[in-house]
Amino acid sequence: MNKPFQLIRSMPSITEQQPALSICKVSKIFPADNGYLNVLDNVSFDMTSGELICLLGPSGCGKTTLLKLIAGFMKPSAGNIRIHNRTVSRPGPDRCVVFQEDALFPWLTVSENIAFGAKGLMPKSRLVPEVRRHLEMVGLTAFKDYLPKEISGGMKQRVALARVLILQPQLLLMDEPFGALDAQTREDMQNLLLSLWEKFSHTIVFVTHDLVEAITLADRILVMGTNPGRIRSEIQVPLPRPRKKESNVFHSFFRDLRGRL
Amino acid sequence: MKNLHHYHRILPWIIPAIFLTAWFFAGKFNWVPDYLLPDPFRIIKSGHVYLFAEAGSGPYAGRFLEDAAASLLRVGFGFSLAVVLGVPLGVLSGRMKICRHLISTTINGLRAVPGICWLPLALVWFGIGMQTTVFLVALAAFFPIYINTAAGTRQVSPLLYQAGAMLGVGRFRGVFAILLPAAMPQIISGLRLGLGLAWAYLVLGELTGVPSGLGAVIMDARMLGRIDIIIVGIIIIAGMGRVSDLLLNTILRLFFKSARRMV
Repeated sequence: MNKPFQLIRSMPSITEQQPALSICKVSKIFPADNGYLNVLDNVSFDMTSGELICLLGPSGCGKTTLLKLIAGFMKPSAGNIRIHNRTVSRPGPDRCVVFQEDALFPWLTVSENIAFGAKGLMPKSRLVPEVRRHLEMVGLTAFKDYLPKEISGGMKQRVALARVLILQPQLLLMDEPFGALDAQTREDMQNLLLSLWEKFSHTIVFVTHDLVEAITLADRILVMGTNPGRIRSEIQVPLPRPRKKESNVFHSFFRDLRGRL
Repeated sequence: MKNLHHYHRILPWIIPAIFLTAWFFAGKFNWVPDYLLPDPFRIIKSGHVYLFAEAGSGPYAGRFLEDAAASLLRVGFGFSLAVVLGVPLGVLSGRMKICRHLISTTINGLRAVPGICWLPLALVWFGIGMQTTVFLVALAAFFPIYINTAAGTRQVSPLLYQAGAMLGVGRFRGVFAILLPAAMPQIISGLRLGLGLAWAYLVLGELTGVPSGLGAVIMDARMLGRIDIIIVGIIIIAGMGRVSDLLLNTILRLFFKSARRMV
Protein backbone atom coordinates (compact mmCIF):
# COMPACT_ATOMS: atom_id res chain seq x y z
CA MET A 1 0.00 0.00 0.00
CA ASN A 2 2.72 2.44 0.91
CA LYS A 3 5.07 1.28 -1.81
CA PRO A 4 4.06 3.41 -4.83
CA PHE A 5 3.90 6.46 -2.60
CA GLN A 6 7.47 5.89 -1.40
CA LEU A 7 8.70 5.38 -4.95
CA ILE A 8 7.25 8.67 -6.16
CA ARG A 9 8.79 10.46 -3.19
CA SER A 10 12.30 9.31 -3.95
CA MET A 11 12.11 10.01 -7.69
CA PRO A 12 13.43 13.54 -8.11
CA SER A 13 17.00 12.51 -7.40
CA ILE A 14 18.15 14.15 -10.61
CA THR A 15 17.39 17.54 -9.15
CA GLU A 16 19.06 16.79 -5.85
CA GLN A 17 21.94 19.10 -6.64
CA GLN A 18 19.66 22.05 -7.31
CA PRO A 19 18.03 23.78 -4.37
CA ALA A 20 14.47 22.61 -3.75
CA LEU A 21 13.52 26.16 -2.94
CA SER A 22 15.43 29.22 -3.91
CA ILE A 23 14.55 32.68 -2.59
CA CYS A 24 16.50 35.26 -4.51
CA LYS A 25 16.68 38.92 -3.41
CA VAL A 26 13.01 39.05 -2.57
CA SER A 27 11.44 42.31 -1.39
CA LYS A 28 7.85 43.08 -0.64
CA ILE A 29 6.45 46.57 -0.36
CA PHE A 30 2.93 47.40 0.72
CA PRO A 31 1.25 50.75 0.18
CA ALA A 32 0.65 52.43 3.56
CA ASP A 33 -1.04 55.57 4.83
CA ASN A 34 1.95 57.79 4.22
CA GLY A 35 4.00 56.29 1.44
CA TYR A 36 5.14 52.69 1.53
CA LEU A 37 5.82 49.96 4.02
CA ASN A 38 8.88 47.86 3.37
CA VAL A 39 7.82 44.51 4.78
CA LEU A 40 10.56 42.36 3.30
CA ASP A 41 13.88 43.68 2.17
CA ASN A 42 16.26 41.74 -0.01
CA VAL A 43 15.73 38.29 1.47
CA SER A 44 17.72 35.41 -0.02
CA PHE A 45 18.20 31.78 0.97
CA ASP A 46 18.25 28.31 -0.55
CA MET A 47 16.84 25.07 0.75
CA THR A 48 17.84 21.56 -0.17
CA SER A 49 15.27 18.86 -0.67
CA GLY A 50 14.07 17.33 2.59
CA GLU A 51 15.35 20.15 4.73
CA LEU A 52 13.35 21.59 7.61
CA ILE A 53 13.99 25.23 8.29
CA CYS A 54 12.34 27.53 10.79
CA LEU A 55 11.75 31.21 10.15
CA LEU A 56 12.05 32.73 13.59
CA GLY A 57 11.17 36.29 14.43
CA PRO A 58 8.93 38.68 16.30
CA SER A 59 5.54 39.58 14.89
CA GLY A 60 5.76 42.13 12.12
CA CYS A 61 9.03 40.83 10.73
CA GLY A 62 7.39 39.66 7.53
CA LYS A 63 7.73 35.94 8.08
CA THR A 64 4.11 35.26 7.25
CA THR A 65 4.41 37.53 4.22
CA LEU A 66 7.42 35.54 3.05
CA LEU A 67 5.44 32.33 3.44
CA LYS A 68 2.55 33.75 1.46
CA LEU A 69 4.94 34.77 -1.29
CA ILE A 70 6.32 31.24 -1.45
CA ALA A 71 2.78 29.89 -1.48
CA GLY A 72 2.01 32.17 -4.41
CA PHE A 73 -0.86 34.03 -2.72
CA MET A 74 0.89 37.23 -3.68
CA LYS A 75 3.80 38.33 -5.84
CA PRO A 76 7.11 39.74 -4.62
CA SER A 77 7.76 43.41 -5.40
CA ALA A 78 11.28 42.48 -6.44
CA GLY A 79 13.34 39.33 -6.76
CA ASN A 80 12.04 35.88 -7.45
CA ILE A 81 11.15 32.59 -5.84
CA ARG A 82 11.92 29.34 -7.56
CA ILE A 83 10.94 25.81 -6.69
CA HIS A 84 13.06 23.19 -8.44
CA ASN A 85 14.11 25.97 -10.78
CA ARG A 86 10.59 26.99 -11.72
CA THR A 87 9.45 30.46 -10.77
CA VAL A 88 6.43 30.60 -8.48
CA SER A 89 3.61 32.61 -10.00
CA ARG A 90 0.45 31.32 -8.33
CA PRO A 91 -0.75 28.92 -5.64
CA GLY A 92 -0.56 25.25 -6.40
CA PRO A 93 -0.87 21.87 -4.77
CA ASP A 94 2.89 21.25 -5.02
CA ARG A 95 3.43 23.59 -2.07
CA CYS A 96 0.83 23.47 0.61
CA VAL A 97 0.16 25.73 3.53
CA VAL A 98 -0.93 24.78 7.01
CA PHE A 99 -2.41 28.00 8.31
CA GLN A 100 -2.04 29.58 11.70
CA GLU A 101 -5.73 29.78 12.31
CA ASP A 102 -8.41 27.39 11.58
CA ALA A 103 -8.88 27.42 7.82
CA LEU A 104 -10.90 24.25 7.47
CA PHE A 105 -14.15 24.29 5.55
CA PRO A 106 -16.80 24.43 8.28
CA TRP A 107 -19.50 22.74 6.20
CA LEU A 108 -17.41 19.65 5.51
CA THR A 109 -16.69 16.78 7.86
CA VAL A 110 -13.16 15.81 8.84
CA SER A 111 -12.88 13.24 6.07
CA GLU A 112 -14.52 15.52 3.49
CA ASN A 113 -12.04 18.25 4.40
CA ILE A 114 -9.17 15.83 3.88
CA ALA A 115 -10.63 14.69 0.56
CA PHE A 116 -11.26 18.25 -0.69
CA GLY A 117 -8.05 18.88 -2.59
CA ALA A 118 -7.48 15.30 -3.70
CA LYS A 119 -10.97 14.86 -5.13
CA GLY A 120 -10.09 16.14 -8.56
CA LEU A 121 -6.77 14.35 -8.73
CA MET A 122 -7.71 10.72 -8.31
CA PRO A 123 -10.63 8.40 -9.02
CA LYS A 124 -13.00 7.65 -6.17
CA SER A 125 -11.70 4.11 -5.88
CA ARG A 126 -8.32 5.52 -4.86
CA LEU A 127 -9.59 8.52 -2.97
CA VAL A 128 -11.47 6.54 -0.34
CA PRO A 129 -8.49 4.42 0.81
CA GLU A 130 -6.19 7.46 0.59
CA VAL A 131 -8.46 9.47 2.88
CA ARG A 132 -8.66 6.53 5.26
CA ARG A 133 -4.89 6.20 5.29
CA HIS A 134 -4.40 9.88 6.05
CA LEU A 135 -7.05 9.85 8.76
CA GLU A 136 -5.08 7.06 10.37
CA MET A 137 -1.81 8.89 9.86
CA VAL A 138 -2.98 11.84 11.96
CA GLY A 139 -4.96 9.69 14.36
CA LEU A 140 -8.44 10.94 13.54
CA THR A 141 -10.14 7.80 12.25
CA ALA A 142 -12.67 7.90 15.07
CA PHE A 143 -13.56 11.52 14.25
CA LYS A 144 -13.94 11.24 10.50
CA ASP A 145 -17.61 12.24 10.47
CA TYR A 146 -17.29 15.17 12.85
CA LEU A 147 -17.57 18.77 11.74
CA PRO A 148 -14.70 21.19 12.44
CA LYS A 149 -16.76 23.02 15.06
CA GLU A 150 -17.13 19.78 16.99
CA ILE A 151 -13.43 18.99 17.42
CA SER A 152 -10.59 20.59 19.39
CA GLY A 153 -7.97 23.01 18.10
CA GLY A 154 -5.29 20.34 18.00
CA MET A 155 -7.51 18.02 16.02
CA LYS A 156 -8.30 20.81 13.57
CA GLN A 157 -4.61 21.30 12.89
CA ARG A 158 -4.26 17.55 12.35
CA VAL A 159 -6.99 17.77 9.73
CA ALA A 160 -5.23 20.79 8.19
CA LEU A 161 -2.05 18.71 8.01
CA ALA A 162 -3.77 15.65 6.57
CA ARG A 163 -5.61 17.57 3.87
CA VAL A 164 -2.33 18.85 2.46
CA LEU A 165 -0.30 15.66 2.95
CA ILE A 166 -2.79 13.76 0.81
CA LEU A 167 -1.65 15.91 -2.14
CA GLN A 168 1.95 14.73 -1.61
CA PRO A 169 3.39 18.24 -1.85
CA GLN A 170 7.11 18.75 -2.38
CA LEU A 171 7.05 21.69 -0.07
CA LEU A 172 5.16 22.18 3.17
CA LEU A 173 4.66 25.74 4.37
CA MET A 174 3.61 26.03 7.97
CA ASP A 175 2.52 29.37 9.38
CA GLU A 176 2.74 29.11 13.17
CA PRO A 177 0.46 26.11 12.90
CA PHE A 178 0.71 25.15 16.56
CA GLY A 179 0.80 28.68 17.98
CA ALA A 180 -2.75 28.60 19.33
CA LEU A 181 -2.48 25.18 20.99
CA ASP A 182 -1.81 24.40 24.64
CA ALA A 183 1.68 23.25 25.58
CA GLN A 184 0.95 19.53 25.71
CA THR A 185 -0.98 19.45 22.44
CA ARG A 186 1.68 21.54 20.80
CA GLU A 187 4.35 19.03 21.79
CA ASP A 188 2.23 16.16 20.47
CA MET A 189 1.80 17.97 17.18
CA GLN A 190 5.53 18.67 16.91
CA ASN A 191 6.22 14.99 17.42
CA LEU A 192 3.60 14.04 14.85
CA LEU A 193 5.09 16.44 12.34
CA LEU A 194 8.62 15.14 12.94
CA SER A 195 7.56 11.52 12.56
CA LEU A 196 5.76 12.30 9.30
CA TRP A 197 8.76 14.29 8.11
CA GLU A 198 11.12 11.40 8.86
CA LYS A 199 8.84 9.09 6.91
CA PHE A 200 8.22 11.24 3.84
CA SER A 201 11.06 13.78 4.02
CA HIS A 202 9.13 16.79 2.82
CA THR A 203 10.90 20.08 2.46
CA ILE A 204 9.40 22.20 5.22
CA VAL A 205 9.38 25.92 5.92
CA PHE A 206 8.08 26.39 9.42
CA VAL A 207 7.26 29.87 10.72
CA THR A 208 7.37 30.40 14.46
CA HIS A 209 8.14 32.99 17.09
CA ASP A 210 8.96 30.34 19.67
CA LEU A 211 12.68 29.63 20.04
CA VAL A 212 12.11 26.27 21.77
CA GLU A 213 9.88 25.14 18.93
CA ALA A 214 12.46 26.24 16.39
CA ILE A 215 15.26 24.33 18.13
CA THR A 216 13.06 21.24 18.49
CA LEU A 217 12.20 21.11 14.81
CA ALA A 218 14.72 22.80 12.61
CA ASP A 219 17.81 21.71 10.72
CA ARG A 220 18.48 25.39 10.28
CA ILE A 221 16.99 28.50 11.83
CA LEU A 222 16.70 31.75 9.92
CA VAL A 223 16.36 34.59 12.39
CA MET A 224 14.44 37.54 11.02
CA GLY A 225 14.41 41.13 12.20
CA THR A 226 11.85 43.88 11.78
CA ASN A 227 11.70 47.16 9.95
CA PRO A 228 12.39 46.25 7.26
CA GLY A 229 12.01 42.48 7.52
CA ARG A 230 15.24 40.77 6.62
CA ILE A 231 17.25 37.74 7.62
CA ARG A 232 19.54 38.75 10.45
CA SER A 233 21.34 35.50 11.00
CA GLU A 234 21.34 31.87 10.04
CA ILE A 235 21.89 29.16 12.62
CA GLN A 236 22.56 25.49 12.03
CA VAL A 237 21.04 23.27 14.70
CA PRO A 238 23.54 20.44 15.13
CA LEU A 239 21.63 18.65 17.91
CA PRO A 240 21.00 14.95 17.25
CA ARG A 241 17.43 13.77 16.78
CA PRO A 242 15.17 12.93 18.52
CA ARG A 243 15.73 16.08 20.51
CA LYS A 244 14.71 16.05 24.13
CA LYS A 245 13.72 19.40 25.54
CA GLU A 246 14.87 18.31 29.01
CA SER A 247 18.36 17.33 27.89
CA ASN A 248 21.44 19.37 28.79
CA VAL A 249 22.60 19.89 25.23
CA PHE A 250 19.21 21.30 24.33
CA HIS A 251 19.33 23.65 27.30
CA SER A 252 22.79 24.93 26.67
CA PHE A 253 22.04 25.43 22.99
CA PHE A 254 18.88 27.30 23.89
CA ARG A 255 20.68 29.52 26.41
CA ASP A 256 23.48 30.21 24.03
CA LEU A 257 21.10 31.14 21.24
CA ARG A 258 18.89 33.31 23.37
CA GLY A 259 21.95 35.21 24.52
CA ARG A 260 22.99 35.82 20.95
CA LEU A 261 19.61 37.00 19.69
CA MET B 1 -38.02 24.77 37.90
CA LYS B 2 -40.59 22.41 36.58
CA ASN B 3 -43.33 24.96 37.04
CA LEU B 4 -41.31 27.52 35.16
CA HIS B 5 -40.99 25.13 32.26
CA HIS B 6 -44.76 24.69 32.36
CA TYR B 7 -45.32 28.44 32.12
CA HIS B 8 -43.11 28.64 29.09
CA ARG B 9 -45.39 26.31 27.22
CA ILE B 10 -48.60 28.04 28.22
CA LEU B 11 -47.46 31.65 28.05
CA PRO B 12 -47.40 32.09 24.25
CA TRP B 13 -51.02 30.91 23.92
CA ILE B 14 -52.60 33.15 26.54
CA ILE B 15 -53.03 36.20 24.30
CA PRO B 16 -54.44 34.24 21.34
CA ALA B 17 -56.84 32.46 23.72
CA ILE B 18 -58.07 35.72 25.23
CA PHE B 19 -58.40 37.18 21.77
CA LEU B 20 -60.40 34.19 20.47
CA THR B 21 -62.67 34.19 23.52
CA ALA B 22 -63.32 37.88 23.19
CA TRP B 23 -64.04 37.40 19.54
CA PHE B 24 -66.46 34.59 20.32
CA PHE B 25 -68.38 36.64 22.91
CA ALA B 26 -68.34 39.73 20.71
CA GLY B 27 -70.29 37.73 18.17
CA LYS B 28 -72.50 35.98 20.69
CA PHE B 29 -73.69 39.11 22.51
CA ASN B 30 -73.68 41.33 19.45
CA TRP B 31 -71.03 43.71 20.77
CA VAL B 32 -69.85 44.03 17.21
CA PRO B 33 -72.33 43.76 14.36
CA ASP B 34 -72.05 40.63 12.27
CA TYR B 35 -71.28 42.50 9.05
CA LEU B 36 -68.10 43.91 10.58
CA LEU B 37 -66.82 40.80 12.34
CA PRO B 38 -68.58 37.42 12.03
CA ASP B 39 -68.07 35.03 14.93
CA PRO B 40 -65.35 32.34 14.77
CA PHE B 41 -67.73 29.51 13.93
CA ARG B 42 -68.96 31.33 10.84
CA ILE B 43 -65.35 31.66 9.77
CA ILE B 44 -64.76 27.96 10.22
CA LYS B 45 -67.90 27.13 8.29
CA SER B 46 -67.07 29.50 5.44
CA GLY B 47 -63.53 28.25 5.40
CA HIS B 48 -64.78 24.71 5.07
CA VAL B 49 -67.05 25.67 2.18
CA TYR B 50 -64.26 27.60 0.48
CA LEU B 51 -61.78 24.77 0.87
CA PHE B 52 -63.80 21.60 0.41
CA ALA B 53 -67.28 22.19 -1.02
CA GLU B 54 -67.98 21.27 -4.61
CA ALA B 55 -67.10 24.06 -7.00
CA GLY B 56 -70.11 26.02 -8.19
CA SER B 57 -72.40 24.76 -5.41
CA GLY B 58 -72.45 28.28 -3.90
CA PRO B 59 -70.53 31.53 -3.83
CA TYR B 60 -66.83 30.87 -3.18
CA ALA B 61 -67.52 27.16 -2.79
CA GLY B 62 -64.49 25.02 -3.62
CA ARG B 63 -62.55 27.87 -5.19
CA PHE B 64 -59.54 27.26 -2.99
CA LEU B 65 -57.60 24.98 -5.31
CA GLU B 66 -57.90 27.26 -8.28
CA ASP B 67 -56.97 30.35 -6.27
CA ALA B 68 -54.10 28.68 -4.47
CA ALA B 69 -52.70 27.31 -7.74
CA ALA B 70 -52.86 30.73 -9.38
CA SER B 71 -51.19 32.42 -6.42
CA LEU B 72 -48.53 29.75 -6.03
CA LEU B 73 -47.66 30.06 -9.69
CA ARG B 74 -47.21 33.84 -9.35
CA VAL B 75 -45.18 33.58 -6.18
CA GLY B 76 -43.14 30.74 -7.68
CA PHE B 77 -42.32 32.64 -10.87
CA GLY B 78 -41.63 35.93 -9.15
CA PHE B 79 -39.50 34.40 -6.43
CA SER B 80 -37.50 32.28 -8.88
CA LEU B 81 -36.82 35.37 -10.96
CA ALA B 82 -35.61 37.18 -7.85
CA VAL B 83 -33.31 34.28 -6.94
CA VAL B 84 -31.90 33.97 -10.46
CA LEU B 85 -31.05 37.68 -10.50
CA GLY B 86 -30.36 38.32 -6.83
CA VAL B 87 -27.91 35.55 -6.00
CA PRO B 88 -25.48 36.03 -8.93
CA LEU B 89 -25.56 39.81 -8.64
CA GLY B 90 -25.06 39.49 -4.90
CA VAL B 91 -22.05 37.22 -5.40
CA LEU B 92 -20.56 39.57 -7.98
CA SER B 93 -20.90 42.66 -5.87
CA GLY B 94 -19.85 40.80 -2.75
CA ARG B 95 -16.59 39.64 -4.30
CA MET B 96 -15.67 42.27 -6.86
CA LYS B 97 -15.16 45.87 -5.88
CA ILE B 98 -15.81 47.05 -9.42
CA CYS B 99 -19.21 45.39 -9.50
CA ARG B 100 -20.07 46.71 -6.07
CA HIS B 101 -19.26 50.26 -7.06
CA LEU B 102 -21.01 49.80 -10.38
CA ILE B 103 -24.37 48.56 -9.13
CA SER B 104 -24.76 49.25 -5.43
CA THR B 105 -25.83 52.88 -5.80
CA THR B 106 -28.42 51.99 -8.40
CA ILE B 107 -29.78 49.12 -6.39
CA ASN B 108 -29.91 51.07 -3.15
CA GLY B 109 -31.67 53.89 -4.96
CA LEU B 110 -34.28 51.52 -6.33
CA ARG B 111 -34.62 49.91 -2.93
CA ALA B 112 -35.54 53.24 -1.39
CA VAL B 113 -38.67 53.33 -3.56
CA PRO B 114 -41.56 51.76 -1.65
CA GLY B 115 -42.68 48.66 -3.52
CA ILE B 116 -46.25 49.85 -3.75
CA CYS B 117 -45.14 52.80 -5.92
CA TRP B 118 -44.39 50.37 -8.69
CA LEU B 119 -47.97 49.15 -8.83
CA PRO B 120 -49.41 51.90 -11.07
CA LEU B 121 -46.41 51.70 -13.37
CA ALA B 122 -46.59 47.93 -13.51
CA LEU B 123 -50.28 48.14 -14.38
CA VAL B 124 -49.48 50.45 -17.28
CA TRP B 125 -46.61 48.30 -18.47
CA PHE B 126 -47.99 44.83 -18.01
CA GLY B 127 -51.75 45.26 -17.62
CA ILE B 128 -53.85 43.47 -15.06
CA GLY B 129 -52.88 39.90 -14.40
CA MET B 130 -50.02 37.49 -14.14
CA GLN B 131 -47.20 39.72 -15.36
CA THR B 132 -47.87 42.63 -13.03
CA THR B 133 -48.01 40.36 -10.01
CA VAL B 134 -44.89 38.46 -10.99
CA PHE B 135 -43.08 41.74 -11.56
CA LEU B 136 -44.04 43.06 -8.12
CA VAL B 137 -43.19 39.79 -6.39
CA ALA B 138 -39.79 39.55 -8.12
CA LEU B 139 -38.98 43.16 -7.37
CA ALA B 140 -39.85 42.85 -3.70
CA ALA B 141 -38.02 39.55 -3.17
CA PHE B 142 -34.92 40.66 -5.08
CA PHE B 143 -33.58 43.19 -2.57
CA PRO B 144 -33.22 41.04 0.55
CA ILE B 145 -31.79 38.20 -1.53
CA TYR B 146 -29.27 40.46 -3.24
CA ILE B 147 -28.25 42.32 -0.08
CA ASN B 148 -27.81 39.23 2.07
CA THR B 149 -25.91 37.35 -0.62
CA ALA B 150 -23.59 40.31 -1.13
CA ALA B 151 -23.00 40.74 2.60
CA GLY B 152 -22.51 36.99 3.10
CA THR B 153 -20.03 36.50 0.28
CA ARG B 154 -18.18 39.65 1.24
CA GLN B 155 -17.52 38.31 4.72
CA VAL B 156 -16.10 34.97 3.62
CA SER B 157 -12.63 34.72 5.14
CA PRO B 158 -9.84 35.17 2.59
CA LEU B 159 -8.18 32.28 4.41
CA LEU B 160 -10.77 29.88 3.02
CA TYR B 161 -10.09 31.21 -0.44
CA GLN B 162 -6.34 30.83 -0.03
CA ALA B 163 -6.85 27.33 1.33
CA GLY B 164 -8.94 26.55 -1.73
CA ALA B 165 -6.34 28.00 -4.09
CA MET B 166 -3.52 25.90 -2.65
CA LEU B 167 -5.74 22.81 -2.79
CA GLY B 168 -6.12 23.40 -6.50
CA VAL B 169 -9.51 25.09 -6.64
CA GLY B 170 -9.52 27.95 -9.11
CA ARG B 171 -11.55 31.13 -8.92
CA PHE B 172 -14.52 29.88 -10.88
CA ARG B 173 -14.91 26.51 -9.19
CA GLY B 174 -14.24 28.26 -5.90
CA VAL B 175 -17.53 30.12 -6.23
CA PHE B 176 -19.44 26.87 -5.94
CA ALA B 177 -17.00 24.90 -3.83
CA ILE B 178 -16.15 27.59 -1.29
CA LEU B 179 -17.92 30.91 -1.64
CA LEU B 180 -21.56 29.84 -1.76
CA PRO B 181 -21.28 27.21 0.99
CA ALA B 182 -19.37 29.60 3.22
CA ALA B 183 -21.98 32.32 2.71
CA MET B 184 -24.89 29.90 2.94
CA PRO B 185 -26.31 30.98 6.33
CA GLN B 186 -26.72 34.54 5.11
CA ILE B 187 -27.96 33.53 1.68
CA ILE B 188 -30.63 31.46 3.38
CA SER B 189 -31.81 34.35 5.54
CA GLY B 190 -31.99 36.46 2.39
CA LEU B 191 -34.07 33.82 0.63
CA ARG B 192 -36.44 33.49 3.57
CA LEU B 193 -36.92 37.22 3.90
CA GLY B 194 -37.45 37.41 0.15
CA LEU B 195 -40.06 34.67 0.21
CA GLY B 196 -41.95 36.43 3.00
CA LEU B 197 -42.03 39.63 0.99
CA ALA B 198 -43.04 37.67 -2.10
CA TRP B 199 -46.28 36.67 -0.39
CA ALA B 200 -46.94 40.23 0.73
CA TYR B 201 -46.54 41.61 -2.76
CA LEU B 202 -48.50 38.76 -4.25
CA VAL B 203 -51.56 40.02 -2.41
CA LEU B 204 -50.83 43.57 -3.51
CA GLY B 205 -50.59 42.47 -7.13
CA GLU B 206 -53.76 40.43 -6.92
CA LEU B 207 -55.78 43.23 -5.37
CA THR B 208 -55.89 44.90 -8.77
CA GLY B 209 -58.77 42.86 -10.11
CA VAL B 210 -57.38 39.61 -11.42
CA PRO B 211 -60.04 36.89 -11.62
CA SER B 212 -58.33 34.28 -9.44
CA GLY B 213 -55.83 34.10 -6.63
CA LEU B 214 -55.93 34.41 -2.87
CA GLY B 215 -55.50 38.18 -2.97
CA ALA B 216 -58.25 38.41 -5.58
CA VAL B 217 -60.63 36.48 -3.35
CA ILE B 218 -60.06 38.87 -0.48
CA MET B 219 -60.74 41.88 -2.68
CA ASP B 220 -63.74 40.25 -4.27
CA ALA B 221 -65.18 39.36 -0.86
CA ARG B 222 -64.80 42.93 0.30
CA MET B 223 -66.95 44.18 -2.55
CA LEU B 224 -69.62 41.61 -1.76
CA GLY B 225 -69.43 42.30 1.96
CA ARG B 226 -68.31 38.76 2.80
CA ILE B 227 -66.10 39.56 5.81
CA ASP B 228 -65.94 35.86 6.68
CA ILE B 229 -64.27 35.08 3.35
CA ILE B 230 -61.79 37.93 3.83
CA ILE B 231 -60.74 36.46 7.15
CA VAL B 232 -60.58 32.95 5.67
CA GLY B 233 -58.34 34.34 2.93
CA ILE B 234 -56.05 36.03 5.43
CA ILE B 235 -55.67 32.85 7.44
CA ILE B 236 -54.96 30.78 4.34
CA ILE B 237 -52.34 33.24 3.08
CA ALA B 238 -50.65 33.19 6.48
CA GLY B 239 -50.70 29.39 6.47
CA MET B 240 -49.33 29.11 2.96
CA GLY B 241 -46.61 31.62 3.70
CA ARG B 242 -45.50 29.55 6.66
CA VAL B 243 -45.66 26.29 4.74
CA SER B 244 -43.66 27.71 1.84
CA ASP B 245 -41.02 28.93 4.29
CA LEU B 246 -40.73 25.45 5.78
CA LEU B 247 -40.61 23.98 2.31
CA LEU B 248 -37.84 26.33 1.23
CA ASN B 249 -35.83 25.39 4.29
CA THR B 250 -36.37 21.69 3.71
CA ILE B 251 -35.37 21.89 0.06
CA LEU B 252 -32.20 23.84 0.83
CA ARG B 253 -31.24 21.41 3.56
CA LEU B 254 -31.91 18.53 1.23
CA PHE B 255 -29.63 19.80 -1.51
CA PHE B 256 -26.87 21.66 0.31
CA LYS B 257 -24.55 20.23 2.94
CA SER B 258 -23.75 23.74 4.04
CA ALA B 259 -27.43 24.48 4.67
CA ARG B 260 -27.73 21.30 6.71
CA ARG B 261 -24.62 21.78 8.77
CA MET B 262 -24.13 25.48 9.29
CA VAL B 263 -27.60 26.87 9.98
